[in-house]
Amino acid sequence: MDLDSVEPAFAKKEFLAVLIAGFGNELLPLTSNNGDEPSPKALLPVANKPLIEYVLSWLEQAGVKDVLLICPDAHQSALHHHINSDISPSALNVDLLPYNETLESPEGTASLLRHFASRITEDFVLVPCDFIPPPSLPLSALLNKFRIESTTNDAIVSTCWVPAYVPEKGVLLDEWGPVPAPPAIVWDPATHALLHVDTPDDLDSNGEEFELKMDLLSQYPRTKLSSSFQDSHVYVCQRRVLELLKEKKKLDSFREDFIPWLCKLQYQPIKRRKYARLFADAPRTQMLALKHSTLSSESRSSKAPQPHDDGEEPAREPTFKVSISIHEPTDSLALRINNVYTFLEANRALLSSTTYSLPSDPKDRSLIDHKVQISSDSIVGDSTQIAERTIIKRSVIGRHCVIGKGVKISGCILFDHCVVEDGAKLDGSILGKNTKVGSKAEMTRCISCPGFEVNGGGKYTLKGEKLDISDWTADQSVPADSSDDDGESSDEEDP
Amino acid sequence: MASKNAASGKEKLIDEEQEILQAVVLADSWNRRFRPLTTKKPRCLLPICNAPLLDWTFESLALAGVQEVFVICRSYSEQIKDAIKKSKWSRTGSGMKIVPIMTAKETYSAGDAMRDIYTRGLVTGDFILVQGDLVSNIQIDEVVRVHKERRKTNKDAILTMVVKEAGVQHRTRSRGDSPIFVVDSETSECLHYEPSFAFPKKQHANIPREVLAEHKEVEIRYDLIDCGIDVCSFEVPSLFQDNFDYLDMRRDFVHGVLTSDLLMKNIHVFVAKDGYAARVQDTRSYESISKDILSRWTFPLVPDDNYPGSERYQHTGGNQYVAKTHPATISRTAKIGRNTLIGASTRIHDNAEIIASVIGPNCTIGAGSVIENAYIFEGTTVGAECRVTRSIVGSGVEIRDGSTVERGSLIGDGVVIGPGAKLKPFERLSVPWKAPASTAGSDEDEDEDSDIEDIEASQDTVDKASLGPESNAIVWIDKPPEDDDLDSPENYNNLKYMRLGEDDVTLDVHHSDKDTESVVSEEQQLQDSSDEEDNYDDHTDAESVVSLSKDTQGGLMADKEFRSEVNQSLERAFAEGHSVDNAAVELKTLRMASNVPLIRVKEAVVAAIVEKIPVLEGAAEQRTEVNKTIARWGQLINKIGGVDPVETISLLQRHISTSARMSLFGQILAAFYQSDVVEEDDIRAWHSLSTSQGIDLPLGEERENMGKAWIVGALMIHQLDQQSDSEEEESDEDEEASD
Repeated sequence: MDLDSVEPAFAKKEFLAVLIAGFGNELLPLTSNNGDEPSPKALLPVANKPLIEYVLSWLEQAGVKDVLLICPDAHQSALHHHINSDISPSALNVDLLPYNETLESPEGTASLLRHFASRITEDFVLVPCDFIPPPSLPLSALLNKFRIESTTNDAIVSTCWVPAYVPEKGVLLDEWGPVPAPPAIVWDPATHALLHVDTPDDLDSNGEEFELKMDLLSQYPRTKLSSSFQDSHVYVCQRRVLELLKEKKKLDSFREDFIPWLCKLQYQPIKRRKYARLFADAPRTQMLALKHSTLSSESRSSKAPQPHDDGEEPAREPTFKVSISIHEPTDSLALRINNVYTFLEANRALLSSTTYSLPSDPKDRSLIDHKVQISSDSIVGDSTQIAERTIIKRSVIGRHCVIGKGVKISGCILFDHCVVEDGAKLDGSILGKNTKVGSKAEMTRCISCPGFEVNGGGKYTLKGEKLDISDWTADQSVPADSSDDDGESSDEEDP
Repeated sequence: MASKNAASGKEKLIDEEQEILQAVVLADSWNRRFRPLTTKKPRCLLPICNAPLLDWTFESLALAGVQEVFVICRSYSEQIKDAIKKSKWSRTGSGMKIVPIMTAKETYSAGDAMRDIYTRGLVTGDFILVQGDLVSNIQIDEVVRVHKERRKTNKDAILTMVVKEAGVQHRTRSRGDSPIFVVDSETSECLHYEPSFAFPKKQHANIPREVLAEHKEVEIRYDLIDCGIDVCSFEVPSLFQDNFDYLDMRRDFVHGVLTSDLLMKNIHVFVAKDGYAARVQDTRSYESISKDILSRWTFPLVPDDNYPGSERYQHTGGNQYVAKTHPATISRTAKIGRNTLIGASTRIHDNAEIIASVIGPNCTIGAGSVIENAYIFEGTTVGAECRVTRSIVGSGVEIRDGSTVERGSLIGDGVVIGPGAKLKPFERLSVPWKAPASTAGSDEDEDEDSDIEDIEASQDTVDKASLGPESNAIVWIDKPPEDDDLDSPENYNNLKYMRLGEDDVTLDVHHSDKDTESVVSEEQQLQDSSDEEDNYDDHTDAESVVSLSKDTQGGLMADKEFRSEVNQSLERAFAEGHSVDNAAVELKTLRMASNVPLIRVKEAVVAAIVEKIPVLEGAAEQRTEVNKTIARWGQLINKIGGVDPVETISLLQRHISTSARMSLFGQILAAFYQSDVVEEDDIRAWHSLSTSQGIDLPLGEERENMGKAWIVGALMIHQLDQQSDSEEEESDEDEEASD
């Protein structure tokens, strides 16, 4: 038999990726609707590349072929369009699963998994759409770790934690909101077991102290406690997780409810036994291979093997181990884009590794004036027009933008189709899609929603604001300067 | 090395030379875990491996290069003084000066001893503080060096505790008192100290959230043995002096310093990697440390090397030690097992079997007797065909032929049992206090005296047949004391975990996977089921319920007292015309002080206000009087905290049903409503409560009155309904008009 000709469909898939794309409320106003069109978080550009692409290519590199992309109804068409367009070149087999939910009451990940459980038939990797993994953390490393942990120690979930984003001094702005505090966790460095995750409920019930069960301490007498790590929300899970989720219907969030609950099972033998009954013991795929592997000496029994009644093999009980890997990247940050600070930070981090060069396409090049200064750590998208004496420093400019004369842009992120008129000054701001900035307007550390218009005329100096449509209508009441009509009419949309 | 450095180094060297290393030994243990072995002598003079504990401690300190030792003695201080005088350290050229310090009888705790050290001004610099029951070969001078080094950069580092790594189930780790340390792994600063006893079993470790505020990553350690060696800075005694309520070194001092917002002092731990250190805290650790010494973990502190006693021992394979200078006489047919120590001039007769035991000097073990895991002090005679298992037998004891001593027994000095005695496990025996042999000197403890009298008085109730016909012993009855303090490790049930011979199976604290299931399953099931109901909240297990009910009992006891206090306080407020706020503050303080639930305060306040209203003849006058009083004092009810108007009405109803002012209920309620103490909705809510009708009360006046009050409430609601209807109409009209 020719082994090469075996259809890949016959080979059992090992991992399925489950990608959750949410509304991204925490990134408002960038994710506000643009007119009637939604702005899915997954498609927000980071260094001119949609956010979801980072995760998709990460999955692809690890050899994961099948992806379930779960997104809200409203985002289905936008995501569908993106995945099937040539911007997303991957060979992944992406299955788009829309679910019906509203902006006001988003469903928790655990609920979504329960809902789509029938679609998941094998072990899976749960990935958020907003994680930008550093190059030093390939997904395959996490998968390998799970393969070992799940076979030798019967780990049910592998979690991955990265250093929490700590804003530098002065970065935080009241108007931009706070950075969510990472939860405190307790883990055992010797066995890589995640033992406790502090939840908001715990904080409510005891705001002064962490309450740890004594059973935890007696079984894991030497543990670490820290709140300087954040959950990457990448979970490699056994299929069994879905069975547990089915049992625990009340748990809504995977990260905040399910994982903390699951951690506790590790030191509650009675409860563990109760849930163990749910599983008909299916042998792990890699079991045989690992039995012969030298790696399996990593098994955690520090105690001497206990003699048991001979003849009777003890039933293998699931340990429900939640394993933890803490990755402290040396090359670049591991960031979750779940607030505007990390969004900005991720863009900046990617900028520092790029070098700008003028577009090679002569047509694009002709759009950029000779007297334009663009610093090397900047990115300018295709078909963007930049007029003379404009200075761009350390910024990302989207595609099809139109930037007038003598504009100063530093440390900014401009999404596609933005228009900046003559003499405007932008500093540390993020402009949503289609934002229009009038001439001589000054913006410092502002965030605008898609389609926002800032009036020109040099009368406006905006500082540290989140500009949403509601603000915008308020702005309209201020008499607009009349000089804002030149330049705007130019063809901002290339064919 | 640069010459300059060398010069300053030399200077420093001289400095350090001048500063001699001092140690303070607390000879008293302030607990009674070894009784009745310690009724006539202090614990620190009990022999372990045939040498007094105190000598082991001195030896441990000498290893660390200590030059001056203060021994703080309280009980039996004369005996300790004598022992020190006779010990080899008192000879010239021993290199260590030992000064016994007699402290007052009123020294009831380590804290008192520290205060005594302060007032006497004993220590001049950093010093080592140990208990008189330490066996250690740790290089404490290394700890002192680290401590001093740290002090150079951080003046607030006042204490370094020496701890040793071990497993949770390590035999030397006391189960009755196994603390949790939270440590910054980089600086070894101790951030949190939490004592944990075997009983009452701790459910949760409570680690303050603020430890993460200043420390990125901390370690939670439940695998450390507290060696009881502290390197203290000279200000430690003064801290005890300032905080007169510090008693225990750990639970009060360490905990106090770490939780204090004012002291701003740091405590560090030193995790000893090499070496051995442990305290003979209880009979259980007595056994494990004996075994550790015999299996040479404490080297060079072993019977054939740096042995603190006077005898020399011959060490042979299998860790058998036999006295060398005055050799023991051992029959050819006797069997001597491993890990055994046999004292000087001891005679062991034919076919006797000694297994993993320590036999003191001048003992006699009769033919065919079996001594297993037992510790027998000096001059004891065991007759023929006896069996002694896992017990400690004092000196001069006679166990006559054919007796059996079961595990966990403690037999005091001079006791005679047998022949044919059959002791129960954990039996404790001593001779009667007033026996002629006793030399009741001036230094016996009054406290202890009365205890022993109690025990002697209760002897009639004890069946002594099992002690054998020739016994002179009295039996120490094992019963929980009436005033059992669950916050102290000395509580009755916790002590069980600390005694010799206690089986792991019967009393396991720790949940390992298998063996404990039977013990904990019920509790766990309970937790499980509650867990199912509301995800994480599993605090409702049997123990907390018990303690709760106990608390409320205590609350009831104090209730009467509290009630009268509240009344007095309110009377003062009424009489002197305090402001409502001031009165509320006073009540809050009172509540905190007596730790009663809020509802009790409210009850008292409602009652007091009602009784404040004078009863008058005329209806109109009465009404103004009611309104006046309520207007003045009504808000107090809501000021004392926990605003719950529905409860207020219930309390009012309850009180007034038994009061002479029953007829005023309607008026008072109306007045409450007028002065906004209660709202309309509250009255409705109260009215719809099932308890408001008083049906569940026994028949009688109270029930009748409750019913009446309820009807009054119904009338009032009716009125309110009418009122609001008309108001609505009015407002409707208004609106119409405005349109």
